[in-house]
Amino acid sequence: MGVPFEALLPYGIVITMFGVTGAGLYVSKRFLNEGKKPRWNSDLWDRQMMERDLRITGTLRGQSSNHIAPKGFELSNPWKIEKRIY
Amino acid sequence: MAQRDARFNQHVLVDTTPMPDHIPKVEEIGATSAPLFSAAYFIGDRCKAFNDDYMKCKEEANGRGEIECLKEGRKVTRCAASVIKDINTHCLKQFKEHWECLENNNHYLFECRKPEQALNSCVFDKLGLKKTIPGAPEGEVPVHLRPKQKYAQFPGRQY
Repeated sequence: MGVPFEALLPYGIVITMFGVTGAGLYVSKRFLNEGKKPRWNSDLWDRQMMERDLRITGTLRGQSSNHIAPKGFELSNPWKIEKRIY
Repeated sequence: MAQRDARFNQHVLVDTTPMPDHIPKVEEIGATSAPLFSAAYFIGDRCKAFNDDYMKCKEEANGRGEIECLKEGRKVTRCAASVIKDINTHCLKQFKEHWECLENNNHYLFECRKPEQALNSCVFDKLGLKKTIPGAPEGEVPVHLRPKQKYAQFPGRQY
């Protein structure tokens, strides 16, 4: 006695829906990271280096291996200041 | 100073005033995080003396190092820029492969041993700079020369 095909319909739905969420997350994360795998577990050093990358290349994940910075880079360095100065 | 509580830095100030003319100019390094990380050991190999000199100057300046060690800092910048320029001239393909691999793998060196081997051998042949990990235990194979990497996504031999 065979299994009626109606018994397998929920499995099809479950697999499709998990597939949709997985593929959607993959695509949206790649899109946000300019086609690269996302950075994870980044500490303060990583974040400030990514901020420096942004100032050099203009995009968050852009990279460049030039040995000389673009013009004006040396003046875009942010100083961290406190709210209140005694 | 001591009784003042630590505060989080919540504000940034971008000061666009250029450096005064009596301070000699130096061109900043334009390499971003992944190429810099990829070239880090070669920079360390060629520029060790300059870097140590700068750190010693900062230590001896008692907190005034930003002003008093400008000369040493310029040497550090120029030396690192020269290494990056040389790698770009002689080993551009291997360099690019390695830093693109790093950028795609969360800047984990252990995911990119194969491009790293190619880059290391090219840089050693052309520039004579060798990657050595400072403080690595003696009498063992250094971690960057082991074909299997413990925490890499791919568990087998990488090259």
